[in-house]
Amino acid sequence: MAKPTKIDGPIIWGRDITKEIGEHSIIQQLNLDIPRGLIFGFIGPSGCGKTTTIRLLTGVYRPSSGEMRVIGKHPMNFTPHDREKIGYMPQNFTLYPDLTVWENLSFAASIYGVGSGRGARIRQLLDFTELHEDRRKLARQISGGMQRRLSLAATLVHRPELLFLDEPTAGVDPVLRRKFWDYFEELRHEGVTLFVTTQYVSEAAYCDLVGIMVEGNLLAVDTPEGLRRSALGGEVVILKTQEYLADTYIAMIDQLPFVRAKTSRNSENEVSIVVDEASTAMPALVEWCAEHNLSVDSIQAYLAPFDDVFVALIKKLSKDT
Amino acid sequence: MLRFFIRISAFISKELAEILRQTPLILTLVLGPFLILLLFGIGYRSEARPLRTIFVVDGNSEMKQQVEEYAKNLGPQLIYKGITSDQDAAIRDLRRGVVDVVVVVPPDATKTIQNNQQAVVTLYHNEIDPYQASYVEAFGEAYIGAFNQRLLHSATTQGQQEASSIQETVQTTRSSVQSLKQAMDQGGITAVQPDKKEMVVKMENDLTSLETQLNEFESMTPSVMIAPFKSEIKGLVNINLTPAGFFAPAVVILLLQHLAVTFASLAIVRERRSGIVELFRVSPLGSFEILTGKYISYLIIGGILAVAITATVVLGLRVPMQGSWGDYAVVILVLLFTSLGLGFLISLIAKTDMQAVQYAMFLLLGSIFFSGFFLDLRYLWEPVRVISWVLPATYGIKMLQDTALRGAPINALVLFSLLGIGVGLFMISWLLLRRRLALSV
Repeated sequence: MAKPTKIDGPIIWGRDITKEIGEHSIIQQLNLDIPRGLIFGFIGPSGCGKTTTIRLLTGVYRPSSGEMRVIGKHPMNFTPHDREKIGYMPQNFTLYPDLTVWENLSFAASIYGVGSGRGARIRQLLDFTELHEDRRKLARQISGGMQRRLSLAATLVHRPELLFLDEPTAGVDPVLRRKFWDYFEELRHEGVTLFVTTQYVSEAAYCDLVGIMVEGNLLAVDTPEGLRRSALGGEVVILKTQEYLADTYIAMIDQLPFVRAKTSRNSENEVSIVVDEASTAMPALVEWCAEHNLSVDSIQAYLAPFDDVFVALIKKLSKDT
Repeated sequence: MLRFFIRISAFISKELAEILRQTPLILTLVLGPFLILLLFGIGYRSEARPLRTIFVVDGNSEMKQQVEEYAKNLGPQLIYKGITSDQDAAIRDLRRGVVDVVVVVPPDATKTIQNNQQAVVTLYHNEIDPYQASYVEAFGEAYIGAFNQRLLHSATTQGQQEASSIQETVQTTRSSVQSLKQAMDQGGITAVQPDKKEMVVKMENDLTSLETQLNEFESMTPSVMIAPFKSEIKGLVNINLTPAGFFAPAVVILLLQHLAVTFASLAIVRERRSGIVELFRVSPLGSFEILTGKYISYLIIGGILAVAITATVVLGLRVPMQGSWGDYAVVILVLLFTSLGLGFLISLIAKTDMQAVQYAMFLLLGSIFFSGFFLDLRYLWEPVRVISWVLPATYGIKMLQDTALRGAPINALVLFSLLGIGVGLFMISWLLLRRRLALSV
């Protein structure tokens, strides 16, 4: 990565950003504070305004109202030099199908003015995206997954410090998706800030910070754990005893100080308990079982899938609003 | 069986829906060629082309007055541009295109005819088109024929006048003979009477004169008598071109224009449709850089194609190259530059590849009709010639014919006009591309 630009505050900052196209309001009152050097996951269903947000942040669209700063500048005032700090991977494969993998990367390097060390950089990226063997193939001759990797390589060729990746894993098989997130993590380690949109809620787990967007509204921004906690009211512990857990016991559990919500029964001898922190609650629960002559069969923290978290969160936030 | 028809109907409805949604394309396909034909029909003048003609006659020639008198009344196909004694100046005018024909009347025409030889009137033209050269030849023959006819008419009139004086001489001689006969009947001419002697001398003179005139008439070659003048056609360009040779530079120009327009017309429309333009918008790329890069690449491709086509024409078809290869290269370069501008403009206006190709074909069709490719521009009605001078091919054909076939230097006005159009198209394309790359919403 090139030497990072010195700026005060977050690398992406926005207040009350709105975007209207015709009579339709696409983005409403969007507020963003994204610190440098992390992966920001922008999650939401198709058509919720994720791509529009990227276009606003990259200066392709002019906002209808609101303030924003990206790498310290309003995107509308970006100079060519500012744009060299940004990488953008569009949703669809937009490179040239009749150029080889190498030629496409060379073209991408040229449009960002990469001169010296271009060959070495391209080789490095081909290794990174595991396309080295296919570098002489035409882009139209490689698989969809390889085309996505080629797009990613093209986005990275000029060593940007801020990356906008619009649904990079859409239509990609789970193995490759995992690989993509490994790439992103590696880039984050190098100090690159990644703004990644995705429809796959489960991918939130790979992000440092997640924003949930629904119908043009940013409903929440938090860490994955924070979101999970927010959706479920805390962390979930699953307690299984050897004996039958009578309702009286469940009522007693609800009265414990670290329990955050009503305990739900999973089976005769298993309950899900929402607690402040699983790590401290579990020893306390084991102790409580011993006090009440209950033998603990198993006790574990439950990581709810993000699909469930997302649904719960949408329900919760819709109720709140 | 029903499923078979249902499957076919899938394509019928799909194709119809797709085509009908492209109304501008259909309009261009249907109306475009008709519009070109209509304009061509309006613009094409089928009558023979009148030739602006200047006559070169020696200042002291007795023919001057006759030529002046005749030239003004030789019909609508000859536009009389005056008489001069300066042949070089007249030829310069011909080279500059101020006149179409220079007619040089020989200074000693009368003497030549008197010497029983046809006087040669030389007609100079600057045509390289074999059909136009033949036209000038026919024009020359027709007008010299008419000139001869007039001379014959005048000579006959003069002859008739001279015949009456001969008649008088014959009458005088006859009365002298009568008087001599009477004298002889009355007593004979025994002695030499002085008056009769004088009469005999006069008779002798008259007969000698008659004999001379008869001898002159007898000795005259009939062909000189009926056609004292004959025409000789000379072209300023000393080249014998076959129709294929004449059309070769125009074909080169038309091919290169079409290739450049087609390549360029697809260049941007494809990128717009593929979505890569969005990548350009986010990148530091400017519209000037994109356009300049594209121009240079297509100029290189066009240049290579031009070399290949020229080699085929020169080595394969044996079309002679009269002028400088440097001039030839400049013409090709400026033509490619301007044609690319047209192509990029199409590319920025067209919504689909098909539309862009259609516009390029439309331009080719227009160029065939209006660029002077197969029909001399002088046969087009002047207001319609505006279309011709919008097309790069018109300029290219004119310049390449001049340099390759005439061996003439490039006409600077034509060259800079074409370059001006090219620069204008570059600016328009640049502005349009800037607008496309700027905020889409």
